[in-house]
Amino acid sequence: MVLASRILLRSNLLKVSQNLLKNNVSSVESLKYFSVSSINQADRLYTKKHEWVQVEGEIGTIGISNHAQEALGEIVYAQLPDVGTKFQQSDECGALESVKAASEVYTPVSGTVTEKNTAVEETPGLINTECYEKGWLFRLKLSDSGELKKLMNENQYQEFLKTDEH
Amino acid sequence: MSGAFKLIQCSGSKMLIRPNVFRAFSSSTATSTEKPEIKKSVFISQSHDIFTNLALEDWIYKNFDFTNHHVLMLWANDPCVVIGRHQNPFTETNVSKLVESGITLARRNSGGGAVYHDRGNLNLTFFTPRDRYNRKYNLNIITRALFREWNIKADLNERDDIVINGKKISGTAAKLGQNAYHHCTLLVNANKLHLGESLAKEEIKYVSKATASVRSPIKNLCDVNKTVNVPQLLSAVGYEFLRTSATELVDGGHSQTMRQQGFQLINPTEKWFPGITEIRDLYSSWDWRLGKTPRFEIEKDIEIKADDKDLKMLLKVEVDKGLMTNIELVMPTGEKAPIVTALQNQPYDEANLNGIVNALKLVPTENVKAAINGL
Repeated sequence: MVLASRILLRSNLLKVSQNLLKNNVSSVESLKYFSVSSINQADRLYTKKHEWVQVEGEIGTIGISNHAQEALGEIVYAQLPDVGTKFQQSDECGALESVKAASEVYTPVSGTVTEKNTAVEETPGLINTECYEKGWLFRLKLSDSGELKKLMNENQYQEFLKTDEH
Repeated sequence: MSGAFKLIQCSGSKMLIRPNVFRAFSSSTATSTEKPEIKKSVFISQSHDIFTNLALEDWIYKNFDFTNHHVLMLWANDPCVVIGRHQNPFTETNVSKLVESGITLARRNSGGGAVYHDRGNLNLTFFTPRDRYNRKYNLNIITRALFREWNIKADLNERDDIVINGKKISGTAAKLGQNAYHHCTLLVNANKLHLGESLAKEEIKYVSKATASVRSPIKNLCDVNKTVNVPQLLSAVGYEFLRTSATELVDGGHSQTMRQQGFQLINPTEKWFPGITEIRDLYSSWDWRLGKTPRFEIEKDIEIKADDKDLKMLLKVEVDKGLMTNIELVMPTGEKAPIVTALQNQPYDEANLNGIVNALKLVPTENVKAAINGL
């Protein structure tokens, strides 16, 4: 995935440099804008509490990691935040109940909820089977994309799991 | 938060059941190179009010640092039914009948199923940091205590219930966040008649995504051994907790007990736990107990006499956040007749539903619409 994103980055850079030739004024800005958004788009970013966020534009999709769903076991109920709710980074924003325990979910980034995954409310087991695809939990409009820098990328998260005690 | 804990220690020293345990702890020192040994405390709540005890549990969970200090809270309540965080009270119990019989309905913050409490039932909450959450360890403390004190042999089944001869004496639930707790009930001499009646629902079809309880045959410990009683069990489990190493199920005997912080009687008041009144208000509110019910629908068959025939209709009610948001009658033809009544957007309960049903039964068909619209 990392490799793919690099290729994507290069081809887009090419376009950007083409643009540079056409229009000297706006190109610097577009280059700057592009480099930020491309990194965000490519990477799923993780928290130490095992939530992930994937950002497209200013909307972040949030879910829990494979490690988290395995630790929870069979999830029987998903309590997700209502659309319009505002959260600060690390706020408790929902709960997942498994046969073992009710676990709090914390938002990896600040923002306002734009959508919740009703399919997961209907079939909580999706979180167990497809935690990165159909098992996403909610989407929010980011209020501070700078917060993303504090999160871990895939490699960092895998390293973190090795050191993590649980 | 550490200040509040000191307050408990200070206040507690006057009321300690075993003052020498406390003194022995303060003289022990850990060397700076090794990790400090995890200390243990047993808190005994002096309240029998379910909402106060849920608030105390929540306060401790949110404000304590359990890194080097594990806590077991012991508590018992006046008659009540406690449902899990994501449960529908109407599928677990008969809410209207509970009100009539003076049994309190409460919703806790942890997952799991519905349980009945009275003073013949001991509740245990094990608090640890999240990464030290260990349900098997906790349940083994209980079974070991039962064996040491009364020679009772209890087992853990595959669902982590404590069972004796296949019958449950304990129900378990847990909450994981920054900290963690695992709490469970222990049936000593609870009123089984009230227990059975309290956990029976009205005969209505509920369509709901809420967590359903797994119904199991239960047993009181006093039916296994007549001499078991709540005060002695409280002491036995408390000592077992204190004499066992915090990290593994190893009995440290008397010397281990002496290194702990001992038993402390806890008075869950605002003075000791600033903010606890507000938490209690939340737990006792309608918004939390019933308003938190996951969205559900009920369906009830209704037969209405028209001329010589019985007409079968279906009453459908949608309930969101505890309120009846949509009430409709499905005619034998499949045609839907929305019912506009004063009960629209009012709290759902069995009594309100039966009011609608009874009103519908009494009217002739041609007047059904008019009648229901006049409810």
